[in-house]
Amino acid sequence: MTAAPPPGDGQVGLVIDGREVRVPKGTLLLDAASEVGIHIPIYCAHPKMDPVAVCRMCLVQVEKLPKLQPACATVVSEGMVVDTQSDATAKAREGMLEFLLLNHPLDCPVCDRGGECDLQDFAFRYGPDTSRFPITEKVHFDKAVPLSDKIELDQERCILCWRCVRYYDEITGEKEIVLQQRGVHTAVATFDGQPLRSDYQGNLPEICPVGALTHRQYRFKARPWDLIRTKGVCPECSYGCNVFVDSRDFEVKRFASRDNPMVDDMWLCDRGRYSATSWNSTSRLRRPLVRDAAGGVRDVGVADAVKEAARRLLAVSERGGGEVIGVLGSPDCTNEEAWLLQRLAREVLRTPHIDHQLAEMLRLGPAEHALGIAEIESCTAVVVLGPEPEVNAPVLTLRLHKAATKRGVAVHRVAANAEPRDITARVGDARLVGVVADETNRARAAAVASALAGGGTAVKRMTVTRGGNGRGVKDMGLLPDLAPGYRPAVPAGMGGRAILESATSGSIQALLLLHAGGVLAGLGALVESALRIAKVVVVIDTKPGVLADAATVLIPGHSLMEKQGSVTNLEGRVQRIRAALPPATSVPSELRVLSMLAGALGAEGWGSGDLMEVHRALAADVPAYAAAGNGGRARWEVAAA
Amino acid sequence: MFKEIAKGMAFTLKQMLSKPITLQWPEEQKPSPPRHRGRHILHRYDNGLEKCIGCELCAAACPVGCIYVGSAENDPAHPVSPGERYAERYEINLMRCIYCGYCAEACPTEAITLGPRYELADYRRERLVATKEDLLEAWPGFEKSLADNPRGAGADQREQAGRAPGVSPRVAWEDREGAVGQAGRGSPAAGQEGLAPHVPTVATPPKRNPG
Repeated sequence: MTAAPPPGDGQVGLVIDGREVRVPKGTLLLDAASEVGIHIPIYCAHPKMDPVAVCRMCLVQVEKLPKLQPACATVVSEGMVVDTQSDATAKAREGMLEFLLLNHPLDCPVCDRGGECDLQDFAFRYGPDTSRFPITEKVHFDKAVPLSDKIELDQERCILCWRCVRYYDEITGEKEIVLQQRGVHTAVATFDGQPLRSDYQGNLPEICPVGALTHRQYRFKARPWDLIRTKGVCPECSYGCNVFVDSRDFEVKRFASRDNPMVDDMWLCDRGRYSATSWNSTSRLRRPLVRDAAGGVRDVGVADAVKEAARRLLAVSERGGGEVIGVLGSPDCTNEEAWLLQRLAREVLRTPHIDHQLAEMLRLGPAEHALGIAEIESCTAVVVLGPEPEVNAPVLTLRLHKAATKRGVAVHRVAANAEPRDITARVGDARLVGVVADETNRARAAAVASALAGGGTAVKRMTVTRGGNGRGVKDMGLLPDLAPGYRPAVPAGMGGRAILESATSGSIQALLLLHAGGVLAGLGALVESALRIAKVVVVIDTKPGVLADAATVLIPGHSLMEKQGSVTNLEGRVQRIRAALPPATSVPSELRVLSMLAGALGAEGWGSGDLMEVHRALAADVPAYAAAGNGGRARWEVAAA
Repeated sequence: MFKEIAKGMAFTLKQMLSKPITLQWPEEQKPSPPRHRGRHILHRYDNGLEKCIGCELCAAACPVGCIYVGSAENDPAHPVSPGERYAERYEINLMRCIYCGYCAEACPTEAITLGPRYELADYRRERLVATKEDLLEAWPGFEKSLADNPRGAGADQREQAGRAPGVSPRVAWEDREGAVGQAGRGSPAAGQEGLAPHVPTVATPPKRNPG
C-alpha cells in the first residue's frame, strides 16, 4: 500500500488506516486524520493553539518509525503510512488513560463536567477496564480552589495538559497561569496565589478537557443532558459572538461558545458570558396597561391596548400632524423590529422623528464598517483609536492579539484624540491599514482614515457600535436622517435627544418607545420631564422602570432570549437568533403588536407580523440583507465617504 | 345422596369455623416482601447527612423521566450531604413512575431505594409529586420512629439495615414482621407527621356520615 508519487502542487499524500489522504504540505497528522473522519483522542492539542505534545494521548503508529508518534505534533510527509487502530496504539492509549486516572478522584457524579468530559469519554472508549493501582492509594489534592471569583480549580481532576497555561500565553497574552512544582505534585497555579484578573477567564473551563477548571456561576446548576441548547448571539455588545444559550427549567444557565472563526474564533469575554443569568430576571412586565388622564390604570387585553394606543396617537396627530410624534427604538431591537418600527413611523404615523439612541449619529455610511473582524488578520497594520473599542467589544482584543502574534500585523494602539499626522508617521509604509474606532469617535476615525488614504494606502474602517444590535438598527434606518440601507430620509427628522427636548418643550406630544428602557436609563431629569409632559407615551418594553411608570399605554415585550429574528454585528454580519426561553408574557411578539398597531391606525396590507413575512419584506427593501442571508455580511457598495 | 350432602355440608361447616384469610386492609396492614419496589426513600448516613449528592444519575437513568433533581453547593459550615454537592430539590412524579428501580441501580451513593409502601392513591394529583421532604428518611430519631410506626420512615431504615453485610434480607424481613405484630397500627410518632404527609398509615377507618 503506497501513496501516489508527489505531484508539485504543494499537497502531500499519505495513508491513514488504509485510506488515502491528500492534504497541504505542513499539515499535522491529527488534522489530516480528522479530514477523513478518523478520530484520534487528544487532550493537550487544541485547534486554536500550537501543539506541545505533552499528554501523549494521540500517539499513533507510523510505519518505519520505531516508536509511536504524537499525531498532534507530527507533520505529514509523502508516503507516510499511519495506523491509528493498531494493537500498539490501543495499548499506548490504555496505558496513558491508566496513568491519567491514577490519582483522578473519580467524582464524576458531582463534577460539573460529567457528561461532557473528554476524560470520561476517552476512558470509556479507549481506556482499560480496570486499573492496576488500588483505589485506596490515590494521592489527594485540594478541591474547589478559587482561582478568582469566577473560576474554580479542582487539582485532583487536572490531567496537566497545559491548555490553560497556553491559553494565557498564546490567546490572551496575559500569562496568568503556570504549572508549579514537579512530578506528582505538579499543579495549576497563579503566581503567588493571586486571583486571575483577565477579562477572558470564562474560556478556561471550556478549553479544559476535564473538570479541573469550572465556572463559579454555573457550579452545580445543571448536568449537560438537562440543558436545552439554542443557537444564539451574545447580546452584550455589538461584536456578535456566537453562543449556545443553554437553558434548563426556562432559565438560562450559561452561555457556551459556538465557534465562528469569522467572528469570535470560539472565545467569549466574561462580560458577555456571565451576562447569561441576567436574562432570568423575574422582574418583568407581563400585562398591558392603559393609564387615563386622571392617572387611573386599567388592566386590558393586548387588542384593547393597541386600539387605545392607536386612538390616542391619531388624536394628537389629527391636531398637529405626524411631526408631533417621536419614535425611539434601541439597539435591543432585532432587525425585523427596527425595520417595522421605522416603517410604521414613516409610512403610517408620518413622522420623520425617529432614532435609536441619544448621541447624534448623522450621515452614517457603510464605509464605516468596511473592515471585517477576520480581515484584521490580513491587514498590514491596524490602528486602534483609544481604549473604547476594546472596552465596548472585548473579544476584539483577542483578535488583535492573534493578528499581532500569529499573523505579524502591526497593531498600533493610539490615543483616541491622536493627531492623524502622527498616526500616519507611526504606521509608515503599509499595504492595507485597518482603523478601529468607537462610534463616538467617528469624526477622528474618518480624519485618520483619510490621512492614511492620502498617503496612497488602502484603508478600511471598523466602527464599534454601542448596544447589542447597534449596527442592525442603523442599517434598518432607525435614524433621523437615513432610511433603511443608508438611503437618505426625506425629510430628515430630529435625533433622540432632540425628540426628548421637544417633548419637554411641547412640540412633540406623543412618544412611541420600543425597548428604549436601556437607552433612556440613567438620564434622569430630561427623560422624566419629557415623559411627564408628553400627552401620549406608548411603551413596548420588557422591564419595569421609569418608562413603564410613565406610559399611558404599556405593552409588555419579549426579551432577546425569548424571540426570534436577526441581529447584525459591528462588521455587518447578519446572524439569526432563536428563542431560548418561552416569553414571560402572553402578549404576542413585538412584530405582531406593531402590525396590529399599524392596522388600528388605518394602514392596509401590513399582514399579521409573522417573522418570515417581515424578514422577506425587509430583504426586499434592503437588498444587501437579502444577499447576506443567515451568517453572511451585508455588503454595501462602499462609496467614497 | 345423603352421604354427598353431608360431606359437602361438613366441608362448609369446617370452613365456617376456620379463621378467614381475608386481610382487613387498610385497617390491617400486610408487610411488603423485602424486595418490593414501592415508593422511593432517600436515605441518610448514620450522622444524619443525606446520602444524595444531587448528581442526577437517577434522573438520567429514569426511563419515563419522572425524577427532577436540582442541585446546589454545600455550605461547609452546615453541610446537607458529604462533599461539595447536594440535592436542593428532589421530586418524583409518582403517577408517572413505573417503579422499575433503575434509579436505585444508577445511584452511586445508594441514596435512593424503592421502599415497601404501596398505598399511593390520593385525591389530588399535585400531592402525588413527592418532594424531597416526603422522600427523605426521618431525622433525628428514626429509632423511635421505627418502634412507633413500622410502616413509616423507620421501616425503610430497617430494610436498609437488612442490606448490611452479615444480615440477610430474610432476617430483616422476619424481624419486621415481629415489629408489626408488636407495635401494630400505631399512629406516627409526634413530630414525624410532616415527614410523609401524603402517604399516612391509616390507623382507624374513616367514619362515614359524621355526626
